[in-house]
Amino acid sequence: MASRRMAHDVAIVAMGCTPFRDHWHSSADDLLVDAVQECVGSLPGVTLDDVDAFWVGTQGSGMSGQTLARPLRLVGKPVTRVENYCATGSEAFRNAAFAVASGAYDMVMATGVEKLKDSSYSGLSAVFPPADGTDVDWTAPAGFSLLAPAYQRAHGLTEGDLRSALTKVATKNHANGALNERAQFRKAVSAETVERSPRIAGPLGVMDCSGVSDGAAAAILVRAEDAHRYTDRPVYLRGMGFVAGSGAGLAADGYDFTTFPEVVAAARQAYEQAGVTDPATQISLAEVHDCFTPTEVVLMEDLGFSERGKAWRDILDGRYDLDGALPVNTDGGLKSFGHPIGATGLRMMFECFTQLRGEAGPRQVPDARLAVAQNLGGQPGSCVAFVAVLGNER
Amino acid sequence: MELNPVELKENPRPMPDQPGIDAYAAHLPAYALHDNRLDATGPPRPGGPARSVAGFDEDTITLAVEALRHVAAVDPPGRQLLLATTSAPYEAKTSAAVVHAALGLAPDVVAVDLRGHRSGATALDLAIRSGAVAALADLRTTRPGAPDELAQGDAAAAFAGGGDRAAVLLGRAGHTSEVLERWRLPGERHDRVWDERFTAEILATAGLDAARRALAEASLDTVDRVVVSSSNARAAAALRRALGGSGEDAALERATGFTGTAHPGLLLAAALDTAEPGETILLLSATEGADAFVLRVGDGVRAARRGPSVHDQLAARQPLGYGRYLRWRGLLDVQGPARPAAPAPASPPMYRRAGWKYRLEGSRCGACGAVTTPPGRVCAACGIVGADDPAAKVSLRDRTARVVSVTRDHLTTMPEPDVAIVVADVDGGGRLSAYVTDVPPADVTVGMAMTPTFRRLWTTDSIHNYFWKLRPWRDTDGE
Repeated sequence: MASRRMAHDVAIVAMGCTPFRDHWHSSADDLLVDAVQECVGSLPGVTLDDVDAFWVGTQGSGMSGQTLARPLRLVGKPVTRVENYCATGSEAFRNAAFAVASGAYDMVMATGVEKLKDSSYSGLSAVFPPADGTDVDWTAPAGFSLLAPAYQRAHGLTEGDLRSALTKVATKNHANGALNERAQFRKAVSAETVERSPRIAGPLGVMDCSGVSDGAAAAILVRAEDAHRYTDRPVYLRGMGFVAGSGAGLAADGYDFTTFPEVVAAARQAYEQAGVTDPATQISLAEVHDCFTPTEVVLMEDLGFSERGKAWRDILDGRYDLDGALPVNTDGGLKSFGHPIGATGLRMMFECFTQLRGEAGPRQVPDARLAVAQNLGGQPGSCVAFVAVLGNER
Repeated sequence: MELNPVELKENPRPMPDQPGIDAYAAHLPAYALHDNRLDATGPPRPGGPARSVAGFDEDTITLAVEALRHVAAVDPPGRQLLLATTSAPYEAKTSAAVVHAALGLAPDVVAVDLRGHRSGATALDLAIRSGAVAALADLRTTRPGAPDELAQGDAAAAFAGGGDRAAVLLGRAGHTSEVLERWRLPGERHDRVWDERFTAEILATAGLDAARRALAEASLDTVDRVVVSSSNARAAAALRRALGGSGEDAALERATGFTGTAHPGLLLAAALDTAEPGETILLLSATEGADAFVLRVGDGVRAARRGPSVHDQLAARQPLGYGRYLRWRGLLDVQGPARPAAPAPASPPMYRRAGWKYRLEGSRCGACGAVTTPPGRVCAACGIVGADDPAAKVSLRDRTARVVSVTRDHLTTMPEPDVAIVVADVDGGGRLSAYVTDVPPADVTVGMAMTPTFRRLWTTDSIHNYFWKLRPWRDTDGE
């Protein structure tokens, strides 16, 4: 399969990200303006006029490119709206990267936004096309909770082993989020709090689920050779893979709910482009899609950080803690930073960008050189998956 | 517009000379209600009446499908499907058409609803005489606390005419008597009832007259078994006494309640379950007049039963609390989760995918043999195009399936605090993601054997959404 490095290398020279939380007093327009202002404002001498093309990712908070053009009153600019489930923000980034890599534009912006709290529902809401009514109307936690009994059975865990690993994912990510002023939840939580939370789906309680929040994020991308014209600390896109799953995991027998094959394939592409041969030792930190606690467990194996069947043990041993060998979700993850669908992929890159520039303050991973941003949407058996490797060296 | 060519084929089974019943089945829902006290502080009255309760996902259509799905495996020689009920899920729309779709009957089989209390006996009569298949299916709901709340119940029975394996009709008589006994205006939920002491007298008189004339037509003075069904319990008791019944029918009714249009069928099915070939049965339905049938049990009666016996179904029932019953029936308005209603299905995709929605058909790949669900033009396993060959469709509805993974949705939009959802692999190929029903969600485990059952998923925008769920496989499913 051809998935090559692009004609031009790409660098991120600026990013912005709003706090993720209940923004009762801000609209999606307001959040986009905030994220874009922070992003463009960080580059002296650059204005939106200098940006040649824009991408905006949102699942349900706007239609068309005007989602961005209207609040910012962009005049005469191309703006593309993209959607790819919870990997929408990553998809905006991916398409923006291709645009500068092709040479078509010199400077582009990727943005993502979601306003979830304006509905009075506590989970996600989406409008689907007219259908025959035969699909299970499951909640996102129900779909992802299928990983838990399958993983437990496949690898011979006790119910207690599994519960401990899930709990550790939640407490770890909340502890990280507590150090992050932009995170939705800024309080460390105890194992007891996680395990006593009201049940949502299968073994998952409220505290096994990501935060439903509002937010936006933005990034400015240029060709790598131009990056130092704008900043002395650019972050380079070293590799990128994306897979839209065929859905075979739900449409035919065989798939066992202990892995995301789409993530495995996307990671292979990204690692190959980046020259990563042993992610478990070469990656400094990773932002992964911890939409629900079992997702993070499985992803540690799909990304090659843990051996198959061993991620739960590595998690309990502290390998992915902030001071562990491979810190994961240093900013709090979806779990504590929050998950406004269209913004999440760019939020992950915002943390990688911050860490690779050494600007993460109390969360800073020492000597961070290579970071992974992994983002997915859909459900086990039928998902879309994005993996990027970012580095502070070209 | 593309029209399907009319299939011209020989009728596989010619109508026999003598009217009769070729096959039969009964369907009792999985639940029974023994106690309807709102403020119960002690156990229910021992030996008191119980009512059969349809699950929250069952209605006349789904009960009829469960009763008929094994009876109507072969298209009926009478080319008719009849559905008799007093509780059709739709006004104006024909419920039997949905049953027809779920059974996968040929398009030239006419599907029609019969309505009203007497329609159960009428449907049975038409099936026996014309070789039609008939489903008698009903849900009975009273106001909470009504005197006869536990004396009403939910059930279905199914009969295929056009043969005599189960029974031959020896005599038949009817008696029409217009009387205000049980009635309900369109849009109302519960029957209103006139003083049963008055109507019992009318119905008993009608019943005796019909029974006498049916016996005369059969040239019999006595029969081996008497089976009496009546919407009026007093009339039923009086008729059983007068005709010398054994009381087995009354005992069954005490365990299920009066099941409306299904009741004569349910009682007849229970009688056929235990009857010996050659025995004679007088079936009397005294409702809005009376219908009497004299039958001789056929030599093939054992093989004529499809699915588990009435006795086995009674024994397998789970007790249900009154609160759950009230919630299921919408008689108690309970706060649900902050979640939007499940989406309503749309007519064109329902029509296009009828094979999947109603018959649970996947597509079997000609190249690799894998089954893709829902059926698609490209095989989900090997990616070969061409899996939409109509001949490659395979129905999964009568297969068993093993649970691959399971979850419990605690934010369900159904009238239950949580619902089990599974991904299950079908024996012989295919995968289903499905709601589980008829079992406590905590009891569903990885590896468990399940089997499809036709249910109503939800109703949104006044559209009932029917599809297949999975329920635990039982030993009797293999019969």
